[in-house]
Amino acid sequence: MSSNPSLIESLNPTADPAVDFRARLGEVDESMRKPAMLFLVSAVFWLLAGSALAMIAAIKSTNPDFLGMTEWLTFGRVRTAHLNAMIFGWGNNVIFAVAPWIMGRLCKARIRHTNILLIAGIFWNIAVTIGIFGILRGDMVGVEWLEMPAYVSPFVIITYALVGVWVVIAFRWRQSEHVYVSQWYILAAFFWLPWLYTIAQAMLIFEPATGVVQSLTNWWFAHNVLGLWLTPIALATAYYLIPKVLGRPIHSYYLSVIGFWALALFYNWAGVHHLIGGPVPAWVISAGTVASVMMVIPVIVTAINHHLTVVGCHKEGWASPTIRFVVFGAINYTVVSLFGSAMALRGVNEVTHFTHYTVGHAHHGVYGFFTMIMFGAVYYMMPRLLFREWRNAFLIKVHWWMCGMGLILMVAALQIGGWFQGLQMNALSEDGTPLYSFIQVVENTKPWLWLRSLSGLMIVVGHFAFAINVFWMVFSPRTQDKVTQPTLLTPTTEEA
Amino acid sequence: MEWSQYILVGFVFGGIFFVAAALALNWAHRHGQLSNLEKGAKTIFDDDEPLGEVTDKFPVKRKKRTPKGM
Repeated sequence: MSSNPSLIESLNPTADPAVDFRARLGEVDESMRKPAMLFLVSAVFWLLAGSALAMIAAIKSTNPDFLGMTEWLTFGRVRTAHLNAMIFGWGNNVIFAVAPWIMGRLCKARIRHTNILLIAGIFWNIAVTIGIFGILRGDMVGVEWLEMPAYVSPFVIITYALVGVWVVIAFRWRQSEHVYVSQWYILAAFFWLPWLYTIAQAMLIFEPATGVVQSLTNWWFAHNVLGLWLTPIALATAYYLIPKVLGRPIHSYYLSVIGFWALALFYNWAGVHHLIGGPVPAWVISAGTVASVMMVIPVIVTAINHHLTVVGCHKEGWASPTIRFVVFGAINYTVVSLFGSAMALRGVNEVTHFTHYTVGHAHHGVYGFFTMIMFGAVYYMMPRLLFREWRNAFLIKVHWWMCGMGLILMVAALQIGGWFQGLQMNALSEDGTPLYSFIQVVENTKPWLWLRSLSGLMIVVGHFAFAINVFWMVFSPRTQDKVTQPTLLTPTTEEA
Repeated sequence: MEWSQYILVGFVFGGIFFVAAALALNWAHRHGQLSNLEKGAKTIFDDDEPLGEVTDKFPVKRKKRTPKGM
């Protein structure tokens, strides 16, 4: 095998992976430095941009006139730009940094073709930049979670293809015999996302379905982006980092395998619970409700594993930035998923539908679960990628406390306020007329929305603390580094 | 498109999903990925990050360098 295999050699289906050699973790980290840092730095920029858009949208929900004279900054555009900046700017960039890095480490093989990831990183950030600009300009597509204009699609497809190919090559040339559960999740996610995106593009953009089918396809896609993309990547990360940081194997590996296959089986059906009460065939809704409740199985299984692995190691966990964030995210996964199953029940959904409760639930899942685990991953990755220590422990603590407490306040405000909002919208007097006018209900939600803005402000402070630490670390001179064991790895093979 | 065409598209793509899952499960079974699972749980540890060692903690405050001769 040549020292630098060509792409043709790497893709050759008849090639024998046994001819390659194992790589130490330090070598994998060093090889992944450039692409991972490209995605990480981009992710942090998008996190800040998405936070700014979020604050504008939050203020507008209590003060609609705020920046109301600028058409680019009307609520519909800003809120949508916030969502896309967070999901596709922050979320996908950080996924493209974390998932290939974990896959590379678990494959224990030398890293090939990082140029593929670098090209993908450039394409992806061009796509998101044009997409957000297009949304603010008024070019958005009226399909939730697919709002970026259709002219962005080629960039998106190219990126998914490039990163997917890279992941497959890494897995194909793995030197580890066992396929760890995190690899299952990552491989599945990189198969599921293009599959979802292709169907959504075909049925919502190129040959748009009409009527009910359009809504069904939309919510099937949108919910599965969370369940079959963000969720498996975050679970893969938690399954890798919790045992890795604590130095103890996962509580029950057997259960983790059940959890993976149960997620694969049930999640795909669940999205249509967003249309409960809509003009959709009853059996479709029932199937979605059943699948949503069946999701309790993988959730409980994962909860047992994540939480019992940490039991007895609380002191070590508290001392680790990674574990603080990842365990906080894992706890939120359990809670938000059980809430989600309950919300799919018709009786509960009658109250929560069309209220801020759903908005709280979405933030609980995407932020409390996914984003917090990704923060934990970044805290573990960056010292290893850059061979530098985090510059300031206080900023890490500010980040954790502000984002953690901010998230709890946000979810509480939106879900309690949303529940009352739902009850008031449904309340009828004895003669069957609404007990509250719509504007009364809106006025009654205002205190909760102010609390949401306050929680958003706390989260923004946390994000700035995180960003300062990231850029401080990136731009600090390498000679100042003093390795603080055991955060950093032992030397690479070459140095040893 | 008509309803029948939507259902056809749904079945085709749904079929791809389930066939892929079945093939993956079959591959895992044939290659012994579903046996001796508890041993597999330890494969993430190695000499660099060994079992039993905590590998992350808050950074320690750096001591200021004292100039030579002081």
